[in-house]
Formats: sequence, C-alpha cells, structure tokens
Amino acid sequence: MSPPRSLSVIVPVRDDSATLARALTAILASELPRDDYELIVVDDASTNGSAELAARYADTVVRLTGRRSGPAYARNRGAELAQGEVLAFVDADAMVRPETLPRMLRMLSDHPEFDAVSASHDQAAAARNLASQYWSLVLHFGEQRQPGTSGDVASPCAAIRRNAFLSAGMYDEWRFETAPLEGIELGKRLEDAGRYVLSSRDLEIVGLRKWNLRSLCREVWDRSALVTRSLGYQRTQAGVPTEVVFTLSRTLAPAFALLCVVALSAAFLPRPNVPVKTAIVLLGVIALNLPVHLFFAKARGIPFAIAVAPLHLLMQAITGLGLCAGWIMRDAVGDRAPDAATQAYAEVGVEIWPPVPRATGG
Amino acid sequence: MVPVGTEDSPSSELVKRPAVPRRTPRVSLIVVLPDNHVVSPDRMAEGLRAHGNQQVDVLVACAGQPTNLAALHQSVGDAQFLLAPAGTSTQDLRQLAMRQAPGDIVTLLSGTLLPESCADAELFMTS
Repeated sequence: MSPPRSLSVIVPVRDDSATLARALTAILASELPRDDYELIVVDDASTNGSAELAARYADTVVRLTGRRSGPAYARNRGAELAQGEVLAFVDADAMVRPETLPRMLRMLSDHPEFDAVSASHDQAAAARNLASQYWSLVLHFGEQRQPGTSGDVASPCAAIRRNAFLSAGMYDEWRFETAPLEGIELGKRLEDAGRYVLSSRDLEIVGLRKWNLRSLCREVWDRSALVTRSLGYQRTQAGVPTEVVFTLSRTLAPAFALLCVVALSAAFLPRPNVPVKTAIVLLGVIALNLPVHLFFAKARGIPFAIAVAPLHLLMQAITGLGLCAGWIMRDAVGDRAPDAATQAYAEVGVEIWPPVPRATGG
Repeated sequence: MVPVGTEDSPSSELVKRPAVPRRTPRVSLIVVLPDNHVVSPDRMAEGLRAHGNQQVDVLVACAGQPTNLAALHQSVGDAQFLLAPAGTSTQDLRQLAMRQAPGDIVTLLSGTLLPESCADAELFMTS
C-alpha cells in the first residue's frame, strides 16, 4: 500500500478551459515527486468540456452538476476528497512556478506557528494587453507593500494544513458564490481560532486570465461591493490591508475632499474656469496616487504609467461606488445568501449530490 | 465492452448524465493503459478502496487491442473497456475515458511502462 500523500492540490474550474491546461501543466511541473501529491480538479458545472480537459492531467476529477456554486463550494468538495496533510488551493487561471508548491510545503514544515501560506501575484501577467498588465501590477503592488502575517488565504494560490482548514469550517460556500473574497473570510476565522496565515513576498504566481475593460470593471465592482456588504470595510482593512480594494480606495477620501474644496471655491470666484479646476482635481488625485504611479513607471516605463493613469482613476471611481453600494445593500437587504430554494433545502437538511451549500462564516 | 475508435466517432460522445437527484455521488475509476503499460491488481484495489464501500464503475481505457482480453475481463469483473487505436497517447486516453465515465467523482489511475523484457506480459501484472 502506498504511503499517504503529503499534499493535495485542489483546482476549482468553471469554463476556464483556455487557462486550465496551462495551470495544470504548471502544477505538474512542480519540483515535487509526482507520488508526493495528488491533483484534484473540481469542475463547477462547466459547459465547455473543462472536466474532460482536466482528466488529461488530474488524479481525480469531480463533476458538479446543476447550478453553479462558486469556487468556495468547489474547493470544499475537493477538500472533502483530499488525502494530503496539506491542501493547496490553486485557481484555474493561476500559474505556479516550479518551486512554489515545494516552498509552501517547506514553509509550513519550518514554521509550525503558521497554518497557511499565501502566494502573491507576479508583476507580469501572461496576457500582454494593457488591462491584464495593469491588474497584475495593482495586485502585486498591494501584496508587496505589506507582507508578513495576514488574514487572507489568497484565492489564486494558498496552502493550508488540512486539520486547520477542517476545524475552521472550510470555506463559506453560503455567501461567497461568485466574488473572490472567500479567502479573507476564511482567514478571519482562522485568526479567531488563534491560527495564522503567512503572506509570502517570494512566492509568486502568474495570472493567466486575460482581462479587458469590462471584466476588470466587474471584478472591481464585485470586490468592493462585497467588502462592505459581507465582510465589513473597517474590519477587513485592519485584517487584510493588502486587498486590492484598499489599494484602490486608500486615496478616495482625500480625493473627495479635494474635489469638494475646488468645487466650493468655484462658488466664490467670478468665473467658473472649469478646465483649470478639473486639471487641479486630476493633478491632485494623481499626486495622492503617486506611489502607485511611480511603481507603474518603474515596472513598465513612463509611457505605460501614463497610459494606465485614466484606467486607475476609473477603477478608483468604481471602487468608491461599489463600496457605497455594498453599504447600502447591507443595510437595505442584508448580507448575501443563496436563493430561497437552497435555503429551504439547507433548513430541511436534504441529502443530495451535489450537496446543498453550507454556511460556515460569521 | 465499449470499443472506441477516435475522438470523432459517435461512441465517444459525452455520456448523457441523467438529471435525477441522488443522495450520494456516483464514483468512477478509470484505468489508463497506453501501449506497453500495465497496472498491478494492488494498485487497482487501492484505487477502489479509496472510495470505501461505495459502488465504483470501473472503466479500463487501453490503446490498441489487448491480447489478453479474456483475462482482463476476469480480473476486473464488470468493468467497461474502452479500446482506442494503438498509439493513442495517455492524455488522449484519459480524455476519451472521461467522456465515457458516468461518475460524479472520477479517479484516474495510470499504468506504468512495461519493461522491454516483459513486452508480452499481461496488462494486469501480479505484484
């Protein structure tokens, strides 16, 4: 009988066949003996043959049918089957480096005080378009500013001790159906239980997803609305200052104050002089964001920094609106929850496959 | 037995998965045997044991026509056999078999390369 494997790599996928093969190939290229880990892919009701593609690489493929339930739910189903002492969650649009998984294992082995290790984003994105490169840099900027312990079991790539994961109640599959903040919520529960997550500056993954303006706007909106609606802005900011929402929202309050001052001054001047005042506000906002713009210039050159300045401004505006919308929704309709049928199934305790989503969060 | 030619053949179409609710997941075990690969009964048993008392649908995907088909049938009981053309790669075999496997949870078990000196040995080696 073969010895138990030390690591189970769990990859949730939903119609990501374009990036899945690269993500799984990268995992299989890890500097780990193949017998030391198992690769589990959980297909969240894909319609494009992702399960068949996953079978080319994986040891186990879980096919979830019916409605789509989200990455948190899919990861939990994979974890239930996993046999490894450490569970590594890698997204289907994330490419690990050959040393990423072995180093995660080593870190957990060398630092028993930590129960999870999170990787960060590389500066470079696989897709060469402006939106993908910008997003990768923004994520990297936030993650690199404050490494160390954090309350974030990072979505794209994180390793966690199996017993810590199970005792924390796994991912909250009740509230986090679509947006990517379930790792923060899990990290908070781990911290509440006296367990810590190490965010490593050196462990990096490359984002494989190709972003465009529309998908980027949606991502930023979803994240920011969810931060205030389901997690609580202040609490999350204290726990996970590296989250991209905070990178984008840090200068919102002073920028808004500047806008108010300039607008107020217009009331006392004989001529409105709109272009000058607009320029003052824009320059002020850029000055407030100077660290991130300098980072863009250093990483990709001044032309790139100039090119993404309007995009960054747009993302900040969407973040501000999303945060407000999340606050309003929390007060008006409450926290996120699945549809009424799912809630009824859960209340009755119906046993069915795939199982009814469970609420484990606070 | 399900003889399968190429990816384009009608028999390699996706298995129709009934929408009838089940209490437990259906489990499949795919044994992938490209040319000159074998799998030991111990590994097979281990793969089956991993699912406890659950009923497991076994699907053996072979590249080429195995010479010991009768012995294979005896070894794995009511397994389903998927015969792909000789030379089909491991990854293609896995993908073909996945299309045929009815399970919600599908475990894939790859055979190991048969040493040249044992080229005529049975696909299922005793350990």
